Amino acid sequence: MNDIFWFVPITSIIALMFALYFFKQMMKTSEGNDRMIAIASHVRKGAMAYLKQQYKVVGIFFVIMTAVFSVMAYVLNLQNPWVPFAFLTGGFFSGLAGFFGMKTATYASARTTNAAISSLNGALRIAFRSGAVMGLVVVGLGLLDISIWFVALNYFYPVELGDGHNLVIITTTMLTFGMGASAQALFARVGGGIYTKAADVGGDLVGKVEAGIPEDDPRNPATIADNVGDNVGDVAGMGADLYESYCGSILATSALGAAAFLGETDMQLKAVIAPMLIAAMGIILSIIGIFFVKTKEGATQKDLLHSLSRGINISSILIIIFSLAILLVLDISNPYGIWGSIVVGLVTGIIIGKATEYYTSATYKPTQIIAESTGTGPATVIISGLGTGMISTAIPVIAVVVGIVLAFLFASGFDFTQMGLGLYGIGIAAVGMLSTLGITLATDAYGPIADNAGGNAEMSGLGTEVRKRTDALDSLGNTTAATGKGFAIGSAALTALALLASYIEELKIGLLRIGEDVLVFASGLKIDTASATLVDFMNYYEVNLMNPKVLIGMFIGSMMSFLFCGLTMNAVGRAAGKMVDEVRRQFRAIPGIMEGKSEPDYARCVEISTIGAQREMLIPASLAILVPIAVGLLFGVPAVIGLMVGALVAGFVLAVFMANSGGAWDNAKKYIEEGHLGGKGSRAHKAAIIGDTVGDPFKDTSGPSLNILIKLMSMVSIVMAGLTVAFSVL
Amino acid sequence: MEIHLYLSIFPEALIASMLPPEEFGRYFAVGNKKRTRGQAIFFKVNRNFESDYLKVQNIDELCVPNSDGSPKRSKYIAIYRVLEHIPMEALENLYLVTDDGRVLELEKGDYSEENNDELHLYQQLGPVRPLVASSLDPIAFCKYLTNTEHPVSVPKIMFVELILNGLSNDPQKASTENIPYRNIDHMRDCLVDLKKPGSKPNKTVVRNTRDDLLYRTTKNGFFIGDQIELFYYPFPSQEQLEGEYYSWWKSALTQGFGY
Repeated sequence: MNDIFWFVPITSIIALMFALYFFKQMMKTSEGNDRMIAIASHVRKGAMAYLKQQYKVVGIFFVIMTAVFSVMAYVLNLQNPWVPFAFLTGGFFSGLAGFFGMKTATYASARTTNAAISSLNGALRIAFRSGAVMGLVVVGLGLLDISIWFVALNYFYPVELGDGHNLVIITTTMLTFGMGASAQALFARVGGGIYTKAADVGGDLVGKVEAGIPEDDPRNPATIADNVGDNVGDVAGMGADLYESYCGSILATSALGAAAFLGETDMQLKAVIAPMLIAAMGIILSIIGIFFVKTKEGATQKDLLHSLSRGINISSILIIIFSLAILLVLDISNPYGIWGSIVVGLVTGIIIGKATEYYTSATYKPTQIIAESTGTGPATVIISGLGTGMISTAIPVIAVVVGIVLAFLFASGFDFTQMGLGLYGIGIAAVGMLSTLGITLATDAYGPIADNAGGNAEMSGLGTEVRKRTDALDSLGNTTAATGKGFAIGSAALTALALLASYIEELKIGLLRIGEDVLVFASGLKIDTASATLVDFMNYYEVNLMNPKVLIGMFIGSMMSFLFCGLTMNAVGRAAGKMVDEVRRQFRAIPGIMEGKSEPDYARCVEISTIGAQREMLIPASLAILVPIAVGLLFGVPAVIGLMVGALVAGFVLAVFMANSGGAWDNAKKYIEEGHLGGKGSRAHKAAIIGDTVGDPFKDTSGPSLNILIKLMSMVSIVMAGLTVAFSVL
Repeated sequence: MEIHLYLSIFPEALIASMLPPEEFGRYFAVGNKKRTRGQAIFFKVNRNFESDYLKVQNIDELCVPNSDGSPKRSKYIAIYRVLEHIPMEALENLYLVTDDGRVLELEKGDYSEENNDELHLYQQLGPVRPLVASSLDPIAFCKYLTNTEHPVSVPKIMFVELILNGLSNDPQKASTENIPYRNIDHMRDCLVDLKKPGSKPNKTVVRNTRDDLLYRTTKNGFFIGDQIELFYYPFPSQEQLEGEYYSWWKSALTQGFGY
């Protein structure tokens, strides 16, 4: 094995060590007075209760799926024997990352509040570095899992042997741990999304609208559940989502590299480890970037944003330089072309992020226009929000399209016939986009910490200055969260595309496993399965638009995106309804809540959200797993490819639309609350509140969950490729 | 148990209670259990006044503890033409209560007359509730409306001056940003008319305001007066609201969220 590979596990350990260092530094600081500690403890308990319940459900799912994979691997011989274990570790590491992230975030919020008593910089430092724990744990555990499997599989399938086929086996086997991560991510994202919005919408509807209680008021029984929800949705959910994208992009690119350079063993190995090395370098540069995030006392919002941007920008610029160095040191073929693809990935991510900011920030015209539409009532707010969200899909789609073309062309040496190399370029563009995930995820996970810190300051009755500081940090978190969501969906699109290409490699392995060593075409042409190219497979399975099976798959894939969205939206509605009933019940049954003489039953609301989220996520999650299997078994490979394409194109556009509509409605409301168009309490404000409530599940449940749907359906298709080729009916 | 006397502005009523002002305000807004909510504005009234109209002599007999020994929360003494029959000198502090029962206590202060030609917007709170644009300052406005020689007058009036921002000087062109009133165009027309030479001093913008008062729109404070006297209850500064009275202010800002 190439010695330079060891840089990968070493950096993953470094990432985890820094995460531990930041965690310990945070834990050394004080959590504040008794009231602050008590509130933080309520949130922590609620978050952990949720995780425990979720892991219980996910555990059952993993046991069932592992049994299915074991049957496929050991009884039916349709899969590599390592798959059940790879699947388990992917899920385990993803769950572990969520656990550490949530634990850190819930310990950090009160400490951030307490630090805000004395300084803004101190509070920013605690909140951001605690967010960085999540970022570093995700990339550290992700690369560690990849490294362990690469080393272990290399022992059983030495890369030096097998004419490069062993590397194909290794990389395609490793891909299946992506399904473990995907499945875990789906539960985290969908469950977390339902939880957070059920608590938020349910709490607001009774608290703000019916009882006239302000947000984060301890008299509202749903307040703690709302704070727990911020962690569950934005820390654990976002972390698991990006963990999956991060690992998925690296693994898919490695698999594509193994396929593209089949026959050139030395170059093949370099192509396989290049994405791992770039990700590893990204870890080091993320850590450097994290240390650049600091601010001065009395900093403005612009200063704070500049502080975070400085860290991300430094990491991004350095990765552009160092990724070229890595490719040159590796002596990979066409290093400048592949480097071009990496840069394309980074730029695409930035463009999507900026487009998201443009369409959702109140600084720009689109959101201001939605705000202005409040003058004619809630109906026009909904119409203009939907319209803006739909229009907002154009730039990200064009960015991804241009990114795909450029990444393909750069890596293939501007030769469209070099399909394998071009697809490798698309994969490595996704790796480039996610290479600095250590710091970009830190800015996401920082958001709910700052939000909870603000909630803690409110509930603890701390002074004006503290609240102003936590409000400034919270507001910054809202901005970075919107950009982070754009980044998550952009990376999901590129990763899914790389997975689509990797599916063909899995087909090859599947066919070889059932003894179909030769592809016999209708024309009588015969090609060795092992050496068949991607185009050969497309022709063999008649993957073209005139094949109704492909169209069937595309229709079902598109439909799945909408069905999934609808199910998750309705799930939020139902879970929020239960929360409304409970909050009303408590106001009725517990005397003295409003007088502040008795404490509401926070735990009951946490429990309702937890149970509601777990119950409601089962149907959409099961569909995401069962539909690709059913389509494969019924209609075969062409339909599965159609399904993946349909889900990717419809899901991507729908996800951008939903996230941006929701974000724009939210910020249109905030724009009015800042004193525009009549300000708080005006009719415009009431109309904007309705838009924001509709947008809540758009931006925090259904939209983000689509990222996972796209990737998970691809992953299920990949893992079940053996089953599809062996048993498809048509 | 001490019996307190309160003058509620809307609904206009004189209420006896064994609860001190803060607790009474909370009770008045949200009830015994959280089944209702509602804004309240009331004065604490000194019991030592005499009135032929209001039966204040037998309050001690009317307001007695409940059968379980708990304090009597409210005993309505009168509900009609109460404001005009309470002597000015009996009025003590003013209490502003939010929907969810947060209470802000305002004390009397000195009103310094502004000598400028700014326009004003007054929300009358009792005994009638029109929203009125005026070229008169609060003192002149009170005198004008309590002058019985005018065909439209009341013996005593309570009102609050609301923010107009730039409209107070330039009703034609100034921005209406951060002004949450309904019928804003009509209000602008009224203000423009007031600027015309020979115009009436007052123009009714809304004949009867049914919405709650948005406390955040208070310009300077609350006024109650008749032909002889005018009491002024200054509203806290923004700094005080965000610091000293934060929980009340935060609750006040939540007003308007309900459908």
